[in-house]
Amino acid sequence: MRSAEFLDCHVLVIGSGGAGVRAAIEASGYGETILVSKTIAGKGGCTTMAEGGYNAVLREQDSCEVHFEDTMKGGAYLNDPALVRLLVDEAPERMGDLLRWGAVFDVTDCCEVAQRPFGGQRFPRTCYAGDRTGHEMMLTLMDRLAATGTEVLQEVTIVHLFKDENTVAGALGIDRNGELLAIRADSTVLATGGGTRIYDISTNSSSGTGDGYALGFRAGAELVDMEQVQFHPTGAVYPYDARGRLVTEAVRGEGGILKNALNERFMIKYDPERMELSTRDVVARSIATEIMEGRGTPHGGVYLDVTHLPRSQIESRLPVMLEQFLKFGVDIRDDPMEVAPTAHHIMGGLRISTEGQTTVPGLYACGEVAGGVHGANRLGGNALADTQVFGKRAGESAGKAKKRVKRIHREEIEAQEKRLSVFYGGEVLPTTVARSLQIAMWEGAGIFRTAKDLEKTEGVINHLSSLSLKATGKSNPAECCIVQNMLTTASLVVRGALLRKESRGAHVRRDVTQAWDAQGSPYGHTCQSLQGSNIKTGVKV
Amino acid sequence: MKDLTVRVYRFDPSEDEVSHYQTYQVQVNEGARVLHVLHAIHDEHDPTLSYRYCCGSGQCGSCAVRVNGEPVLACMEEARDGMTIEPLDLPVQKDLVIDMEPYLAAISSLVPKEDFTMPTPEVVEAIKPLRSCIECLACVSACPALKVISFAGPTAMREDLRLALDPRDSEDRVTEAVKSGLFTCTSCQACWKVCPKDIQIPGKAIEKLRALANKKGLTLPRHQEVSKLVKETGRSVTRTEPTFLEQVGEVLEPYGPVKATVGFFVGCMYNQRLPQTALDAMEVLRRNGIRVIIPKEQVCCGSPLIRTGQIDFLDTLKKRNIDAFVFRNIDTVLTMCAGCGSTLKNDYKTPFRVMDINEVLTRYGIEPPARLPLKATYHDPCHLMRGQGIRDLPRELITQVVDLVEMPAICCGSGGGVRSGIPEEAAALAEKRREEIEKTGADIVVSSCPFCEFHIMEHTDRPVKNITTLLLEGYREKDRKKAEKAG
Repeated sequence: MRSAEFLDCHVLVIGSGGAGVRAAIEASGYGETILVSKTIAGKGGCTTMAEGGYNAVLREQDSCEVHFEDTMKGGAYLNDPALVRLLVDEAPERMGDLLRWGAVFDVTDCCEVAQRPFGGQRFPRTCYAGDRTGHEMMLTLMDRLAATGTEVLQEVTIVHLFKDENTVAGALGIDRNGELLAIRADSTVLATGGGTRIYDISTNSSSGTGDGYALGFRAGAELVDMEQVQFHPTGAVYPYDARGRLVTEAVRGEGGILKNALNERFMIKYDPERMELSTRDVVARSIATEIMEGRGTPHGGVYLDVTHLPRSQIESRLPVMLEQFLKFGVDIRDDPMEVAPTAHHIMGGLRISTEGQTTVPGLYACGEVAGGVHGANRLGGNALADTQVFGKRAGESAGKAKKRVKRIHREEIEAQEKRLSVFYGGEVLPTTVARSLQIAMWEGAGIFRTAKDLEKTEGVINHLSSLSLKATGKSNPAECCIVQNMLTTASLVVRGALLRKESRGAHVRRDVTQAWDAQGSPYGHTCQSLQGSNIKTGVKV
Repeated sequence: MKDLTVRVYRFDPSEDEVSHYQTYQVQVNEGARVLHVLHAIHDEHDPTLSYRYCCGSGQCGSCAVRVNGEPVLACMEEARDGMTIEPLDLPVQKDLVIDMEPYLAAISSLVPKEDFTMPTPEVVEAIKPLRSCIECLACVSACPALKVISFAGPTAMREDLRLALDPRDSEDRVTEAVKSGLFTCTSCQACWKVCPKDIQIPGKAIEKLRALANKKGLTLPRHQEVSKLVKETGRSVTRTEPTFLEQVGEVLEPYGPVKATVGFFVGCMYNQRLPQTALDAMEVLRRNGIRVIIPKEQVCCGSPLIRTGQIDFLDTLKKRNIDAFVFRNIDTVLTMCAGCGSTLKNDYKTPFRVMDINEVLTRYGIEPPARLPLKATYHDPCHLMRGQGIRDLPRELITQVVDLVEMPAICCGSGGGVRSGIPEEAAALAEKRREEIEKTGADIVVSSCPFCEFHIMEHTDRPVKNITTLLLEGYREKDRKKAEKAG
């Protein structure tokens, strides 16, 4: 391995999804900005896969106050209210940016952005571009990024954050050829997205491996509510290799209904008022319960049916769903889909201020890697808005940070070189470890949890973490680092789940009986850092 | 689980001088995609195999590869036993990983105007199909023009049209498109057929941009001459000898019982330049029980105008042609020019059915011809194979007369106004055809389109024959043998 090449910049953004690109666009106005992407920029991450929409208050009949209340209630009041306030207040302005930059959203006959109903919201405020909303946003953001002076490093995996005293001073990356890049930066923005690839069944792209949680944790940042993992109610169930693939909430937003194998519209038992458009935690648990109690379909799901809708509505509003299911032999205009819950989004993450600062100086975070915005359950449509609101905020404050003399210590690079070279003498392939982890997490830290299962899962994670990962080719050391990130993320999820001895939002503890509802809960955030972990108590909502 | 044997292209420029293919046996689940085969190889056999993927659900465009030569998304294409997996036909970085950046960079970005205008629902509806592109570069890999001439490529043209339609963009995209190669597209439609999002780039983007270019006076001078000729004579080419229509009567009765009656749309090339080929076809039809009605007032179908964006005169042509057949109560119109056939089927709304001659002959069956001691190769006309979806029928006919050796189906370069507009590109593409023809070792080249036949003739030393001429030669040989026996 040759010694590292050095690069300098004012702001380093790690991640090329909606939040990262938005942050880079903003930061580039303040100084030289580098955006590092693990994939081809614009293609990785989950924004480009996001289908349903972007929540923003755009109509007089709607109000930011109602959006705020919906988000807090949907999040089981675990959200950080100041962050939610910014989300709802600034989502419309950030939508305005996207439109100015050329985003092609669906519009009404009056030339207003069209909106559809989504779960847990009292007003149809989800803006959309068919069912490829995130893709449309990414195309627009990449267009805009190209117009800034941002340098984009393609297919570079960040494996370490450098520290100068207490301050983050940049990051170390490995490119496709296994060469090291040491990037010095005044400000570093983590926009690495989520990490539900730690589960066997997940909607995430290949990049959803929790890298940012692990990088931030190792750099000393505090993370909150990592136990709060959203299981999207509707993921594909077959063929086997397509399991977990997202079936957008827009299917239900457009009028899709859920039925069990007995042809019963079962949501009436669980949430008769909101039915299919209840919050995701409720719908996911309802589906899981139907399946567990033997009322599932032959492939182990439930039916999601749009055959009663006009064919033209399906074709124009849900074209990606139509195309994907056709590829797997189901015409959703004629036959119901089969769906089951799939790990989708981590609500927890790095604790951030309203300016996107983490608890470590020099380190910022935005998008899914940050915690606190969505509480214990995220509303559909709030994630895309989150990427834009907090991407801009983090990029702006990172850009405004002072320029300073940046130092990267030789010993830190040498330690990383040693870490990477050890992989060449390792024993176990990273993919083998990842598979074992994914199955253990799905079985022991899924929708329904108990202390016993969680402890068992923690044991598996500890064992897997003790194995020595093996690299053979040039691209393999990065893969080994990524699997280490998955292990760290998984242990944060499990530890958080053990700390939270209550059911709240997406986190359900079957072994705990509680006498309170979300608003009366004595608990606040779970907090984890290198200093230790705890759960806040005595918090009044 | 099931076992598959697959061949995979391997190349590591830091270690290998040349690429090679490696065969792997893998176990995958029922319904596995090509991507899962690559995962299985990477996880179980060789962790050094490089390939790209991200979303795994057809939305990010990272994983396009060629399977048995055809560009596909690895995450959506079902894996099959015996398949060969190769990178896209673009510069390879390692194994299945290609250099995407130059082609992604060629796609223009919107430059916002100072004053914001929200697009109307009509504009949004027009733009939306163009925006579903996931920039996988399958179209760039498949585009034959890109192999011989500098050109921004199909997907860059797609985005240029989107920007030209978008009221928020401040630049002149039409002029930009002309400069970056708008007129190099042969409208072969290879890009459309490999597009995982089914974006009809030639018809829905390139021809539309050419029409906008026409309004700006940017149509190529050679194309303007064609348009002038059509307006003055009703034909897109000049005559070199007595035309087909001058040589035949209005009705041609078959020699035996009537199996079917069709109207015949001859097209400019067969009428003005290759009338003998059309006469051969009539002979084959008469011999096989097809009664042919030939309205003399028919004119150019308009294809050369549509392909080059000169559409102001189009409705006049359409009406004249449709009326000619409707007046005679014809319910089936036969075409033998692939371009006319594709235009009548796709660009017209006709009250009658349109059938290519290959469809008519195979539907009603043909008298077996004698076999000729020749080896032939077949050139698939783009407007027959992709424009009309007719691939197997010509082969059914050809193999009744001669042995057939296949070659890859690639555009000859004569379409889309390229032969007249950018002759050096058309010649370069035809040269590539010549090389492929050479490789087959065939004695003759058979095709089913006058543009292809005329163009390839100029670039190969082998005889180039229309499929019906070949059939007629088979019949003549049969007659000769019969006469010999009788004699």
